[in-house]
Amino acid sequence: MKTKSHVFRRSLLDGVSFALFVSVILSLIYNPTDEQLLNLSLVSTIFIGSMIAGGLLSHFLNQAGYKTFGENLFEPAYVKARAESKPWYKAFWGWHLFLTILVLFIVGLFKTKFSMYELLDEDGFEGAKRLFKGIFSPNWQVLPTAVLNIIETIFMAFLATFLAIPFAFLLSFVAAKNIMKSPWAYAVYMFVRTVLNVTRSIEALVWAIIFSVWVGIGPFAGMLALMIHSIASLTKQYSEMVETVYEGPIEGVQSCGANKLQVIWFAIVPQVVLPYISFTVYRWDINVRMATIIGLVGGGGIGTMLIKYQGQAMWPEVGTIIVVIAAVVWIMDQASAYIREALK
Amino acid sequence: MSEPILKIKNLEKTYPNGVQALKGISFDVKKGEFLVIIGLSGSGKSTLLRCLNRLHDPTGGEAKFHEQDIVQLSTAAEIRSLRSKIGMIFQHFNLIPRHTVLNNVLMGKLAVTKTWKSIFGLFSEADKADAMKYLKLVGIADKAHIRADQLSGGQQQRVAIARALTQNPEVLLADEPVASLDPATCHIVMDYLKKVNQELGITIICNLHFLSLVRLYATRVIALKGGELVYEGDPKNIDEAWFEKIYGEGAKEVHIN
Repeated sequence: MKTKSHVFRRSLLDGVSFALFVSVILSLIYNPTDEQLLNLSLVSTIFIGSMIAGGLLSHFLNQAGYKTFGENLFEPAYVKARAESKPWYKAFWGWHLFLTILVLFIVGLFKTKFSMYELLDEDGFEGAKRLFKGIFSPNWQVLPTAVLNIIETIFMAFLATFLAIPFAFLLSFVAAKNIMKSPWAYAVYMFVRTVLNVTRSIEALVWAIIFSVWVGIGPFAGMLALMIHSIASLTKQYSEMVETVYEGPIEGVQSCGANKLQVIWFAIVPQVVLPYISFTVYRWDINVRMATIIGLVGGGGIGTMLIKYQGQAMWPEVGTIIVVIAAVVWIMDQASAYIREALK
Repeated sequence: MSEPILKIKNLEKTYPNGVQALKGISFDVKKGEFLVIIGLSGSGKSTLLRCLNRLHDPTGGEAKFHEQDIVQLSTAAEIRSLRSKIGMIFQHFNLIPRHTVLNNVLMGKLAVTKTWKSIFGLFSEADKADAMKYLKLVGIADKAHIRADQLSGGQQQRVAIARALTQNPEVLLADEPVASLDPATCHIVMDYLKKVNQELGITIICNLHFLSLVRLYATRVIALKGGELVYEGDPKNIDEAWFEKIYGEGAKEVHIN
């Protein structure tokens, strides 16, 4: 018996890989102009059409006993366990996978305009040499400013993490399946999960752009962006911890006649508090790194300083900034690793 | 001794995956007795106990506790009030490992403490005295301020008994209370349960594996097999024939002394 979801996933994967082949072959035959490629409705019709055709083809192939890559990947575990092992180059799926990766690789080379010539071109190489020379002879006069700016970055990251904790703490229980069992609670759970997934899939960089319009360019916008992103990420990590707690203490506290809040507080919180702290320290560490990038789009701190000097091609100053960032990121990384180790 | 405290009639439990754990079980529990339930793993013993304090929801039948049908309770408040009158101890003790022994015992007062007070740990002095009293009863008062996970299995189970007693329950459910303890500790814990039963007059319903323990401690015994009640009576009357019927052909009794 084959499960529905397995057939759907298989058809989707095989369909996409078939559509990839069709698109490559079509563009080789017709060699379309850029203008023709910009016709999104035509292009997507062709792609989706060949996806469907590919899905059907994959179905017939599997019926006929040729195992496609999608089938091999998504087939249920018990089928996988039964199958005799064959070297990949003797199986249909092996060549299917090989061809897919090969085509992806070649298309990738074209799409990124990969060029050995540019990489080794003498003029360009000279430019890079100038840049490296500048970076490796840092201008220490900007060091005090860089230090001030990185302190701003560290505190952006700290405040973003700190403000995210209470939100993430509360949300983590609402976003845990083992707590939200009754039908209406499950609806709330689904809603919160969806909102968090959407929030998380929007990069902190994009949030920084939004907030720099909202509250103006500067560290406040960067902090808000990091905070939103931290709430979403921490809630996910926290709630996963809540979902793996031991049932025993929960039953124990429930059997005393405790209400829902008391059960959470006495049976669940003591089990998750250490991992929570560990995740939070790690989040601060990540946020310091992200805050640097966010500065590039106007989030304040060291990133803003970096983009300013980079724009003016002042490489010795950029070199100083890079040294400061590397040092702080390294220290944060080590410190958070030691703290998390000690919390175990 | 004779009036029933629990009247269970045709109690049924079918899990959402279709497993019928209890297929219509009927029996009475008399006030003050030490009732032991025996049966193989998977015979429905644990499910039965958990249906009595609504950790599991029964799917049919009736279980009267003081004219109140446990099966029909629907609101969370009703269920909490029921649980406050029926204490429970577990095979794996189910304490909060990172909290102190005293804090664990104070959990027994959660049902009668305001939520915000309990969350800030503001239990009244009377409650704390009560908790200490029961810790003394199970002989473990000197460990009150030690973390629960520092204790041995037998000590943890005694803390669990103290926690249940702090609820001031009328009935104490014990789900395999000695199954994860070594034979020597086994008797200590069972002796405390006997003491609770005889000195405090608390009715005990206890799941057990070892027949030798059953004969020592039970005042009455019922046996479950495949979700059905197959024996009810005096523990001394379980002979070899009954033993084989309950535990299956070829089973041998293991003695624990």
